[in-house]
Amino acid sequence: MTDTAQSTDLNLQVDRRGFLKGCTMVAAALGISEAMIPKLVEAATSAQRPPVIWLHFQECTGCTESLLRASHPDIGRLILDIISLDYHETVMAAAGHQAEKSLHDTLDKYAGKFLCVVEGAIPTKDNGIYCKIAGRTAVDILAEVAPKAAAIIAIGACATYGGIQAAQPNPTGAKGVQDLVSGTPVINIPGCPPNPISFLGTVLHYLTFNRLPVTDNLGRPLFAYGRKIHDHCERRAHFDEGRFAEEFGDFGHRNGYCLYKLGCKGPETFSNCPSARFNDVDVWPVSVGHGCIGCTEPNFWDTMTPFYERLPNVQIPGTSGITDIDSAGKTILGVAAAAVGIHAAIGIGKKVIKGCGCKNENKES
Amino acid sequence: MIYEKHYVWSILLRLYHWSLVSSVVTLAITGFYINTPWTLTTLEGTGLYPMLTMRNIHSLAGYLFTAAILVRIFLLIFGNRHERILDLLPVTSRNIKNMSTTLCSYSYLHDCQDEERLGHNVVAGVIYVLTIIVALFQMASGFYLRLPESVFWQKWGVMLFGTQQHARFEHHLMMWYFIVFALIHIYLVIWNDLKHPDGITSSIFTGNKFRPRSIK
Ligand code: HEM
Ligand code: HEM
Ligand code: SF4
Repeated sequence: MTDTAQSTDLNLQVDRRGFLKGCTMVAAALGISEAMIPKLVEAATSAQRPPVIWLHFQECTGCTESLLRASHPDIGRLILDIISLDYHETVMAAAGHQAEKSLHDTLDKYAGKFLCVVEGAIPTKDNGIYCKIAGRTAVDILAEVAPKAAAIIAIGACATYGGIQAAQPNPTGAKGVQDLVSGTPVINIPGCPPNPISFLGTVLHYLTFNRLPVTDNLGRPLFAYGRKIHDHCERRAHFDEGRFAEEFGDFGHRNGYCLYKLGCKGPETFSNCPSARFNDVDVWPVSVGHGCIGCTEPNFWDTMTPFYERLPNVQIPGTSGITDIDSAGKTILGVAAAAVGIHAAIGIGKKVIKGCGCKNENKES
Repeated sequence: MIYEKHYVWSILLRLYHWSLVSSVVTLAITGFYINTPWTLTTLEGTGLYPMLTMRNIHSLAGYLFTAAILVRIFLLIFGNRHERILDLLPVTSRNIKNMSTTLCSYSYLHDCQDEERLGHNVVAGVIYVLTIIVALFQMASGFYLRLPESVFWQKWGVMLFGTQQHARFEHHLMMWYFIVFALIHIYLVIWNDLKHPDGITSSIFTGNKFRPRSIK
């Protein structure tokens, strides 16, 4: 194991052992047989593997950072090793005109063959002026690159579904790739950030089988997003047994009980976090005591907040106020009960005054 | 005045009604529990599984609820003449007239020409049809939550509701529809029972309503 000082450098060399280890981890995540590992390795080292153009738009570069640095170092280097990055603003050596030239060379030379990875949302409001690179808007760049790509991998919550920029009221009109591209296959690897294994698995699947992995209805590969977090969570037994942490730091929390009552969104979120886990020490949010915030789901900034409540709030019509769903329900029920009470009181009042409520009753009595 | 007994509600409709009532009550209680489990187990190894049990009961009641709704949809088409959809909605001139006289009498206006009618009044009819529609959405969101990996429910769930979180939110919201419905419904049943001697409340148990012999 390299020492810490060294591993914080971007070491682009990966030794054979690390390479095989990485491929094995990916094969496990993909759920493919051990016997296929040599094929993965072959595809990953093939001289004909497609170049990759990595576009950064409206984002924080956190996905790249977590892919290349914080995660399992072998995986990070593997990514750089197997995909030949012809254009990646964060890691490429070229800059300025040189970088743009390299982008256009790849576009021309490998039209229809290269893989495009998009990180970040695309702002569409006001002709897309909220994100410009080399004087061109993100909308324009995507429109130029997307039709020439063999396939597009949208990585992260932003590139897939818009991310935090697209949260209400979405001032820049931010959108995910799938909303803007048609004709080129798009696969979504959402998450904030997504697990490197999910990304690498998708790339290796593509290199090995020459097609993108099977996805769900939201465009996410099933091998990584096929199960709810809740269904693979190590705290699940506590959930079923009704043992919950009521607040951070209480008895239940200290004893590793389920985080459901602290707003854990595991029951509504599809991801492989509990099984793939993050970093060298195999952790994930719930394992270290914080509920899932649902970052792999579309519009999670709007639907999964408040993060420490079960369900989103409701807007009170005609005002800017919000309230939780059960207070709203109880208010409506209260109004209905009051209406029932008034209705009954009028009926009784009329009877008392007139001795009778309506014509019909006259007839019957 | 001599009253005649008329058979109005078939056994299937009455079964439907009481399956619906028992399932909705169970679903609302277990639903609240699932949202905010109010018990707190700190003993380990007791094997009580309160959350698991509540979720299982919720599912079981969900299937009863589904069966009841499917029966009612069958009766909307193949039921007796009081049970069919055309008798519930303001689509014939007789029904439109009934709708206005019912609204008139519900608002205590004086000169309401109340029609003696064996089936539901049309205001109730409209609300019952609406309830069946809401119930279908409740059912669909419930199955989407229950079977998240099923290709069928995923396709429809994403189309109708959005993500699991959307579905859960809307599922919870629709529960409040049923609660408010139940309150107003039970009130109006009692109100009608006090006002008309046709025996509306017992009709949902026995299937029979009563009305004076003179009226056809
Ligand atoms: C009137 C009928 C129903 C009512 C009032 C009702 C109510 C509820 C409520 C309040 C919740 C909790 C959601 C939350 O706040 O987090 C819930 C969850 C759920 N309901 Fe229903 N529900 C009804 C019908 C159904 C049906 C027909 C099904 C289908 C089988 C179903 C399946 C579920 C499932 C699977 C969950 C999620 C449980 C979990 O994640 O552990 N529900 N329901
Ligand atoms: C103990 C309480 C209840 C009583 C005594 C009761 C009684 C009745 C009666 C008498 C009718 C026939 C009314 C008419 O002719 O218009 C009826 C119909 C109906 N009730 Fe209830 N009810 C009760 C609770 C509920 C609850 C809790 C629900 C659902 C949440 C419900 C749903 C319905 C529906 C949907 C119908 C229409 C039946 C149809 O589709 O034809 N009831 N109920
Ligand atoms: S901690 Fe979250 S994901 Fe884990 S069992 Fe509890 S609710 Fe489910």
